[in-house]
Order: sequence, then C-alpha cells, then structure tokens
Amino acid sequence: MRFPGLVENEILKISKQRRFRVVVLILVVLIGLIVFAQSRGRERFRRGKDWRVQTQERMAQIQNWLRDGRMPAASQRWARFELGRLQYHLERNMDPEAISGPLFARGFANAASYLLLPLLAIVFASDIVSGEFQQGTIKILLTRPVRRSRVLASKLAALLLAITLTVLFGGAVAYALGGIAYGYAGWDAPVLTGFRVAGQSFDPAGIREIVLWKETILVYGLAWFAALCVGAIALLTSVVLRSTAASMGTMLAALIAGTILPRLAPSWDAQKYLFVTNLPLPDYYSGSPPPIPGLTVGFGAAVLAAWALAATAAAFAVFARRDVLA
Amino acid sequence: MPNAGAAESRLEREIVLSAEGLTKRFGKREAVSGVSFDVRAGEVFGFLGPNGAGKTTTIRMLVGLARPDAGRVRIRGLDLARDFERAMAHVGSIVEAPDLYKYLTGRENLLHFSRMLPPGAAERIEELASLVALSERLDDRVSAYSLGMRQRLGIAQALLGNPDILILDEPANGLDPAGIREIRQLVRRLAGERGIAVFVSSHLLSEIEQMCDRVAIIHRGRTLAAAPVAELLERVASDVVRVRARPAQRAAEILAAFGPTEIEPEGAADAVAARVPPEKVPEALRRLLAAGVDVYSVERPVPSLEEIFLEITGGETV
Repeated sequence: MRFPGLVENEILKISKQRRFRVVVLILVVLIGLIVFAQSRGRERFRRGKDWRVQTQERMAQIQNWLRDGRMPAASQRWARFELGRLQYHLERNMDPEAISGPLFARGFANAASYLLLPLLAIVFASDIVSGEFQQGTIKILLTRPVRRSRVLASKLAALLLAITLTVLFGGAVAYALGGIAYGYAGWDAPVLTGFRVAGQSFDPAGIREIVLWKETILVYGLAWFAALCVGAIALLTSVVLRSTAASMGTMLAALIAGTILPRLAPSWDAQKYLFVTNLPLPDYYSGSPPPIPGLTVGFGAAVLAAWALAATAAAFAVFARRDVLA
Repeated sequence: MPNAGAAESRLEREIVLSAEGLTKRFGKREAVSGVSFDVRAGEVFGFLGPNGAGKTTTIRMLVGLARPDAGRVRIRGLDLARDFERAMAHVGSIVEAPDLYKYLTGRENLLHFSRMLPPGAAERIEELASLVALSERLDDRVSAYSLGMRQRLGIAQALLGNPDILILDEPANGLDPAGIREIRQLVRRLAGERGIAVFVSSHLLSEIEQMCDRVAIIHRGRTLAAAPVAELLERVASDVVRVRARPAQRAAEILAAFGPTEIEPEGAADAVAARVPPEKVPEALRRLLAAGVDVYSVERPVPSLEEIFLEITGGETV
C-alpha cells in the first residue's frame, strides 16, 4: 500500500539474493587486480628514469608513427591528441602520468563507465522483473491490492538505488585499494581537463584546470548517470523477455557491440544515436578523443536520457497490460 | 460436510465473487467461453474439470492476471477491471503452485506480502502461522520447506489481508494424503468459522465431493450451472452396482433378473457388475443371501468427470 514499503520489499529481495554478494565481490577483486597490475607495470615502465625524459621519448615515438603515415584515421586523431596532451604537461612541468589514490579513483570511473558499471547495472536490472516470472512469485505480486504500475515503480526505485550504491561502493573500493598503492593524499591537486582535437590539430583552447575532488565528483556523476540509463534499458528487456538469462544476454551483446562498433566502423555516423556509444561520458568530459567526432557530454547525456525514458515508458506500458499466463 | 440447512441459508448470504460470461481466446482457440457463476460468503465452491479444461485460465481472470476478452469479474460488487486495488483487497489466492521466495524465510515472505496490504496485516503473522501449523518453522528458509509446508505458507499469505474470498487452484496437487486432509480441514474451518468464501479448483471429483458445498463443472471452456455436490451426484448416479460375492457365477444369475449383468473379467475374480435400480438394491441383496451367496461388499462406482459431463450435457458439446 505505502510506496516506501514496496521499495523496502524490492531492496530486501535484491540484498538477500546471491547476485548482490557477487557484485560486491566482483568490484573488490577486479579493482584489487587493476591496482596490483598497474603498480607492477609502472615499476617496470619507469625503471628509475626521469619522467621528463620519458615523456619526451614517448612524444618522439608518436611523432614517428604519425610521420610514417600508415596509421588509420581514428588512431591518428588519438595520436595528435596524446601528443598535445604530453606537450601541454611538459610545458607546465607536470608529470602527465603522475598517479595518486584519488587520481586512481577518478580513473576508475572513466574506465568502468562503458563496461563494468553498466554490466553491474545489468546484473541487477535483468533479474528484477524476470526473476519474479521465473520463480512464479509474479502471480502473488500482481494479485495483491497494488496496481501494477506501482509494483514496477517500486522495482525501478530499488534498482536505481542499487545502481547508485554500486557506483559509490566502486568508487570507495577504488580509493581504498588505490590508496594502498599510491597514497591517499592528493584530493586538492590540480588536474587538467578539456583536451580536444579540432580538425587536424590539437586544440588547447578548451583546457581547464580543476581541483581533483571536484572533477572526481563530476566524473562519478556522469558514470552514475550512464549506469542508471543502462539499468532503465535493462529493466525493459527484463519485462519483455521474462527470462533473466535472455535479458542479460541481450544487454551484454549490446554493450559489447558498443565497444566494438566505433573501432570497426568509425565512419558510420548514425551510431552516435545508439545508447552504447554514449556510455563513456566521463571520457568525453575529461577530453579523451571521442570515438566518433562530434560527441560531447551534453549530446551523450541527452541521447542516454532519451533512451532511458523511452525504455521506461515502454516497460510500464508492457508490464501494466500483459497477461500473466506462464 | 455439506448439509441441507446450509444449502437453504446460502441463498440469503452475500455474493462475494461473481463471474459473468468470462471468455478468453488464445489466437483462434477459445480457451474459456462464457463462464458464469456466483460464490457466496461462507461456502466452499468447487470448480471441477479435467486438466486443460480452462480452470487455470478462468482463475487467472478471476484474480486479474489475465484480461477476459469478454465478460467481467465482480468482487463484492466491485468491477475487477475498473477497481482493481479495492477489489483485490478482498481476495487471497494461490494460483497453480504455492510459489514464494525460496531464498527468504517464511516470516520474511509474510512480511513482504503484508507490506502490500493495508496497515495491520503484519500483526496477523503469528496467528496465521499457528493456524497453518507453521509457527516453529517460520524462521527457516522456504527452500527447506516441504511442498505441504509451502502450500500452508501460501494459504497463510493468502489470508494475510483478511480476505472475504480465498481462491485456491488445485490445492491438493502434489500433496500426500495427510497433507490433503490438512488442507481440507483448514478450508472447511475457514468457511465455517470465519465465513470466508472459498473457491477451490480440482480435477478430482472425490476431492471436491469431500470439501465443497456447491460445484461447477468446466469442460472444454464451458461450465454447467453450479449445483450442490450431492444433487450433482444424484443426477448422474449410475445404476451400476458392483457386488463382490462368492460364488460369482451364482450371484450373476440372480442379479440378471434386475438388468444386464456381467462377471468382471480379471483382477477381481469375485466381482459382478450389474445394473440394478437404486430402489431395488435391498431386494437384490435379500435374494442373494437367500440363495446362499456370500456377499463381501456392494458399491456404486463413482462416475468419471467425463461421464458426468456427458450425462448432464447429453453429449451435445463433445
């Protein structure tokens, strides 16, 4: 009857299922592995060399590649961007690869935004309606004096909460484990953001300096938003397919296609209207070159929001009307 | 068990659930065609039909899981399609199997569903647990419950909202005889002591006969007018009598005077099936005894559902 009670029910069900513990475990193990691998890799990478020398060496290498002329167009854009970025840091006497616990935590949001966090959102969302069908409990759930739209709304609310907690927990684990390797200090370090490529050359006009903790909040906000939108879309597949495995498989295929497509077919312009292309919002914000020219944070967020709203509307329409016969 | 007094007062009781011309089509096939009946407060109403007759589809329409293509359901006068929340507040149901959350305990399941009801439902949990004899296992996970315990937990769940009507779909399915008896006694008590109307579906005549006051039979999506169980049985009572007697040959000769008689071929060597009109049975028995035949048992075989339906409809729809 009371809506908070319904949401409480859904949270109870999510938290008592094994998948909840699995998600927690995935985050801890995966982040731990990344921290370990990265810190080992850096030891070898640096070999006691001065970072200035190393940066210059890297720039020379990239320039060689560019001169070579055999690079595909997408990589060329990346190379010019990287060159400009290194140059910019060098001029300001800043180590472009410097890392700290807070920086690692921020970097985690960038890296996790287009695969890991959406994946975890899918793990929760895929089951939230289809699980009731598979267990047969949908027959009780929908024969209680609560309208179907309210039942689904309570599930949506619990799902958004679970995704939010997952993003926050991921950030906390990244900071905690990253801090072990790189130290916990450095939240107020200045970071440079807004690197971009204009036409053929690196364009420094958009570069801004921002305090790391502010940028971290922004980046997590974007990763969170992207994960919520994926959750909303996965809710639709869960409602329509009524099978957790089918729903999860469909969403996974979409995610994987989204990471492959820009590389295989970078010239197909219309893919910027797909939701998967727009998941790396934090990257677009920090200024990594977008896979398709012309993608911005605002555009990406708008596309994601449109997908999420349409999927939610469709999920409610289907859920409220369809006969439960299985 | 049903009795004549109950049958008379029933007419004055309130109609709690009424189905009016329910019809459901799947593609071209009409699974349920114009099913109508009323269930009154305090009665146990049987819904009898072979598997695949349209029982579960009808029940899904009664509880709002499926939309009828025609007809409507009223619960205490409230139209289910238009007033779903208020109508369903009077209903408790188990559709098909008693499916509950297996990874939650019995108590967590009841708490979960009490939050979907008006305030106060959670306070009934202890009382209902003892009513269905689950108090001691209430904090165990449902995955550790036997089917009978799940069925009882399902009934406790259905009763959480103090319903006026309880809808049970094949409640005896998969239960052992003791479990079936428990459910039967519980249903009779709920109807008798609390005045709850109970709608029970089954594919077994014997089960309905022992539990229900009135019964409607559904066959190929159509129902016959509901009637008291005894009346129904009376209408179709066959006049075949099965007599176990020795020597069978002699018994068959004597019984042949009342109608066609045959010695049952195998299995029971001493059994004779004879058509004897009910009023002639005592006389037939006297003659058997006078002739020195030993009679071990006399019974009237219960007709099968199919036979009942054919008998009543005259076979026209089949």
